[in-house]
Amino acid sequence: MNYLEFLILVLPEAVLTMTALIVIGLGAKSGRGGANPFSSGFLTAIGAAGIVAAGLVLALLPAEASLGGMLVLDPLTRLFKWVILAMSLLTLALVPGWAPPAHRGEYLGLILFATVGLSLVISSEDLLMIFLALELASLSLYILAGYNCDDSYSAEAAMKYFLFGSISAAFLLFGMSLVYGYTGSTHLAEIGAALADLPTEPIFALGVVMMLAGLGFKVVAVPFHLWAPDAYQGAPAPSAALIASGSKVAGFFILAKILLLSFADWDGSADWGGFATGWVPFLALLAALSMVFGNLSALAQTSVRRLLAYSAVAHGGYILLGLLSGGTVGIAAVLFYITLYGMTAIGAFGVVALVEQRRGGDSVAHFAGLAKEAPFTAGCFLVFLISLAGIPPLAGFFGKFFLFTSALGGSAAGDPSGLVWLVSLGLGMNVLSLYYYLRVLKQVFARPPAESTGHATGTPPLLGCMLATTAGAIIFLGCFPNLLLKPIEAALRVVG
Amino acid sequence: METWIPWLTALIPLPPLAAAAAILFLHPCRRPAAALALAGQALSLLGALAVFGGALAAGGTEGGPVRGLLTFTWFTHGDTALPLGVAADPLGASMLLMITFVGLLIFIHSIGYMREDPRFARFFCFLSLFSGAMLGVVAANSLLLLFICWELVGLASYLLIGFWFQKPSAAAAARKAFLTTRVGDLGLFLGLLWIYKETGTLLFYDGGHGLLEQSALTSLAGQTVAGGMALSTAVSLLLFCGAVGKSGQFPLHIWLPDAMEGPTPVSALIHAATMVAAGVYLVARVFPLFAAGAGGDGVTTALTVVAWTGAVTALFGAVVAVAQNDIKRILAYSTVSQLGFMMLALGAGGVAAGIFHLLAHAFFKALLFLGAGSVIHGCGHEQDIRKMGGLRKTMPVTFILYGIGMMALAGFPFLFSGFWSKEAILVEAFAWPVSRIPFLLALAAAVLTAFYMTRQMIYVFLGTWRGKDRPHESPRVMTLPLVPLAAGAVLLGFLATPAWPWFAGFLAGEAVAFSPGALFTGKSLAFMALSILVAATGVAAGWLVYARSPASTAEDPLQTRFPAAHRAVSRRLLVDEFYERTVLRLQSAGENGCARLDGVLRRVTDGAGAVLSRGLGGLAGLLDRSVLNSGFDTVCQFLRAGTAWLSSLHQGRAQNYLRFVGIGMVVLLLFYAWLQS
Repeated sequence: MNYLEFLILVLPEAVLTMTALIVIGLGAKSGRGGANPFSSGFLTAIGAAGIVAAGLVLALLPAEASLGGMLVLDPLTRLFKWVILAMSLLTLALVPGWAPPAHRGEYLGLILFATVGLSLVISSEDLLMIFLALELASLSLYILAGYNCDDSYSAEAAMKYFLFGSISAAFLLFGMSLVYGYTGSTHLAEIGAALADLPTEPIFALGVVMMLAGLGFKVVAVPFHLWAPDAYQGAPAPSAALIASGSKVAGFFILAKILLLSFADWDGSADWGGFATGWVPFLALLAALSMVFGNLSALAQTSVRRLLAYSAVAHGGYILLGLLSGGTVGIAAVLFYITLYGMTAIGAFGVVALVEQRRGGDSVAHFAGLAKEAPFTAGCFLVFLISLAGIPPLAGFFGKFFLFTSALGGSAAGDPSGLVWLVSLGLGMNVLSLYYYLRVLKQVFARPPAESTGHATGTPPLLGCMLATTAGAIIFLGCFPNLLLKPIEAALRVVG
Repeated sequence: METWIPWLTALIPLPPLAAAAAILFLHPCRRPAAALALAGQALSLLGALAVFGGALAAGGTEGGPVRGLLTFTWFTHGDTALPLGVAADPLGASMLLMITFVGLLIFIHSIGYMREDPRFARFFCFLSLFSGAMLGVVAANSLLLLFICWELVGLASYLLIGFWFQKPSAAAAARKAFLTTRVGDLGLFLGLLWIYKETGTLLFYDGGHGLLEQSALTSLAGQTVAGGMALSTAVSLLLFCGAVGKSGQFPLHIWLPDAMEGPTPVSALIHAATMVAAGVYLVARVFPLFAAGAGGDGVTTALTVVAWTGAVTALFGAVVAVAQNDIKRILAYSTVSQLGFMMLALGAGGVAAGIFHLLAHAFFKALLFLGAGSVIHGCGHEQDIRKMGGLRKTMPVTFILYGIGMMALAGFPFLFSGFWSKEAILVEAFAWPVSRIPFLLALAAAVLTAFYMTRQMIYVFLGTWRGKDRPHESPRVMTLPLVPLAAGAVLLGFLATPAWPWFAGFLAGEAVAFSPGALFTGKSLAFMALSILVAATGVAAGWLVYARSPASTAEDPLQTRFPAAHRAVSRRLLVDEFYERTVLRLQSAGENGCARLDGVLRRVTDGAGAVLSRGLGGLAGLLDRSVLNSGFDTVCQFLRAGTAWLSSLHQGRAQNYLRFVGIGMVVLLLFYAWLQS
C-alpha cells in the first residue's frame, strides 16, 4: 500500500474534512461583543462550496482504483458518491433557515463529517472499513438529531436514535465477526469466494441474520424501524432530511453490495410455498413486514413527520423487493428508486420545515390552506407526495414500476413467478398509501387556512431553489427515467 | 429528406407548451400572457412552415412520400426499450401547418372576445396547452406518444369547455365531454396494448419494423381472433372507438353540442378545426392498418364500419341541425355532420379526400365559429337566432365573412373549397363497391347542409332586428383574423380540383400535372352538376321555407307543418334521452352498488387500519404508542429536569429497546429454524 495512492483515493473526503474544519473554526470565532461575525448563510455557502469541490475532485480521480479492497473506486461508487454529495448539498439549503441557531459552524461541520462517513461507506468493500464508516456517519447523525438542546423532542429523538443505533451496531459487528470467523476474510469478494467451497452452518446463518438486523436499522426495515418515527419527528429539519436521504441511500447501497458480493451463493428462495434457506427469505420477510406495517401505521398518523417516517418504512419495503431479484435490472431499480426517494424526502422535509416555522406544528391540520399562502411550496409538495404514491408521470411511478417488474421476474435461484405474492402485497399496500398522501394534500389544497395570523406568505428563495430542484428532478426523471437509469445500468455492467 | 426536418418537427409542439408553463408559473398580467401565447404559436407556425417546405421539397419515391423520422428511447427496462418518435411527412406537415395557422388566428380573435374576462391569462394558458398537445398528436410517430398527447388534448378541452365553471351548464358540459370521450379512449388504449403485445412496437414507421409497415401488417392481417375476424380488423375497430369519441361520431357525438358552453374561440379552435379532427387524423394515420389484408377493391371490415359510421353521422348531424335555434349548436351539429363526411371518405378509401375536407373544413368552420363569436359579441351575448335578424346592416363585415363561410360549407360551386372537397367525397362514396346507401345518405346530408345554413343566414342576417339592445359591429381584433380564414376557405379549393389534384399527389408523394381536360370528362362533369344541384336544392328549399314567412313569428314554419317530426329533431332525435334512460340508469344502479361496496370497504380498511395499526396488541400499535409514546412525557420531564435521566433510561426505556431488537432477532432466527426444518 502506498500512502500517495491512499491520499489520492480519499481526496474528496479530505476536501470535505478540510471544509468541515474550516467551517467549525469560523463558527467558533467570536467577534466584537462575543457574537459570531459570520452569518449562517456565509458558513453554509462555504460548506456547499466544499461539497461542490469534493464532487469536482471526484470527477478528476482515476476511473478505477482499489486499495486492497478497503477503498474502491469504480463507476458505480463514483456515481453514488455523487448522489450522496448531492443529498448533502440539498440538505444544506435547509440549514440557514431551520438549523438550531446556536453553534451553526459545528452543525455544518457535523453534516460534512456525516457526508464523509456515508461517502466512505459507498466506496468500501471490506467489512471492517464498512463498519468504521457507518459508525462515523452514525455518530455524526446522532449528534445532529439531538442538536436542538432546548427542545426535549430533539433530545428524545437523539437518545432513541442513539440507543437503537448502538444496539444495531453491536449486532452488525457481532454478525461480521461470525462471518469472518467462518470464512476467514473481511473482504467482501473473498468471503463470497470462500463460501463457494464451504458448507453453510447455522453459526454462519446467525452471522448473516445479525448483519441483516444491523443493516435493517440503517434502511429502516420492520422490526428495526422503531427509532425512525421519533427521530424524524424530533430532529431539526436538516438533520431529519439527511437521516431520511443520505443515510438511507448509503444503507441500501451497502446492503445490496454485501448481499450480492459476499452472500450470492447463499441466496435461497422466497417463492410462495417453496421457501429455501438463504438471505432472500429473510429479506422477503422484512420487505413484507415493512410494507404492511409501514403503510398501516402511516394511516393512523396525524403528525406529518411521523407519517413521512412510516412512509419511509413502507418505501424501504418496496425497495427490498427489488433486491430480492438480485439481477442487474433489480439492482438498477433499487439504486434508481433510492436516489429519487432521497430527493423526495429532502424536499418533503423542506416543506414540513416551512409549515412548522409559520404555523407552529406539523400535524395534518397545520397544512390547511397552504396552497393559498405559498402556492409554489404547495405545488412542490404535491409533486413529492404524488411521486411517493407512485402516480405517473412522476419519477416515483417509474421507480416502483421498475422495482415491481424486476421482482415479478422472480429471484435468481427461484421460480420466475415465485415472488408474485410479495408483489401483489406491495401493490395492494401502495393503493392503500394513496389514502394518507391524499389526506394531507386535501388539507393543503381544499381546505381554507385555519386563521390569518399575519405571518409571512410565499416561499423563501433558498428553500424555493431547493424545492424547484428536487421537484423538477422528480418530474424530469419521470418523463425521462433513462437519464438516470442508463448510467446506473452501465456502471453496474462495468462492475459486473 | 434533410435530417433537420424531423428534429424541427419534434420541436414544434414545444413553444406553446412552454408558453403555457410560463403563464401558469409566472402569473403574468393580461397583455404579457397573451403575448407569450401568441409568440409561442407564431414560433410553431414558422416551424410548421419550414417542415411543410421540407416535405414539399422532399417529394416522394416509388413506395410513397418520403418520411423523416426521429426516434428516441423513452426508457429501457432490462432488455426492453420503449422508443418514442416523431415523423415528418406530408400528412403530418399539412396538419401542423393548418393547426398553427388557424390556431394563431383564433388566438388573436380571443384577445378581443375574452377582453373582459377576469381569468384572461389563464385562458391563454389553457389554449397554449391545447395547441401544444394537439401539435404533439399530429407530429407523433408512435401510437403511445400520440395517445399521451391525445389525453392531454382531452384534458385541455375539459378545462376550456368548463372555463366558465361558475355556470353549472358549462361545468356539466365539460364533465360530459370528458367522460364521453373517455369511453372511446378506453377502446383506443386497449387497441394500443393489443398491438404492442402482438407486434412488440408502437412506432408507426421504423425502417421496416414499424406497425404500419409491411411485415407487421402482414402478420396482423394473417392472424384471426374470435369469430374469424382478422387481428388487424379487431385492433382497427378498437382504435376507431377512440376516433369515434374524439371526432363526435354517432353514437358518441352527444358531448360535442354541449361543448358549445365553452367560450366561442374555444369552439372554433377545438370543436371545429382541430381536436374533433384528431379522430379523423388518427384513422388517416393508421389507414394502412385499417386497410390491411384488403383485396383488390380495397374493402375491409374495419373500413366498412368506418364508412357506415361516417355516413350515418353525416345525415344524423345534418337532420338535427335543421331544428336547432342556438347559433352555436347549429354549427356544432354541422360539425358532427361534416366529420361524418370525412369518415365516410376515409372508409371508402379516399384518404386524400377525407383529409382535404378536414383542412378545408377547419378553415371555413373556424371562420363560421369566429363569425358566430362576432355576432354573439355584437348582440350582447345573445345566442338564439330567433332573437336576431337584420344584422346585414349593422354588422356588414361580419356578414360578408360569415357569408363566405356559409357558402363554403353549403358547397357553392366553383369558387369555394367546400364545393371541391365535398365533391371529392361524393366521388369516393359513389365508387365504393360495397353499397350505394352511404352515398345516398351523404347526398341527403349535403342537401340539408345547404338548407340549414340558408335558414341560419336568413334568421341572423336578413329581415329586421328582433332583439332588445342595438347590435354593433365587433372590433378589428375580432374581425381581422376572419379575413385570412375566409381567403383560405376560398383559395384552398384550388388545390384539389379534378383538374389539378395537387393535394392527393402531395400526400402520396407523387408529382401531379395540371390538366384542365380532366375537368370536362363525363364523370367529372356529372359530379359537378350533381354537387351544384345539391347545393341549389338546399338553398332554394331554405329560401322558400324561411324567406317568405315573416321571421318575427315565434314558430318555425317546419314546426307548424310537421310538429311531431320537428319536436323529435329539435330534441336531437332523443339520443340523449336514450342514454339517460339506459346508461345513466344503469350507472346510478352501479353507483348505489359502489357506494354500498365503498361503505363495506371503508369499514374493512378502517377496521383493518384500526385493528392492525392500533389494536392487535402488537407490533405497530404497541410499539408506536405504548412503548414509545406512553413513556414519552415521563422521559421529557426527566430530560427537562436534567436529573437522573440516564438512570431512567436504564430503568425502562433502554430495556424496551433492547427487548424489541431482541424480539426481532428471535423472530428471524425462528424463521430460520422453520426454513431449515
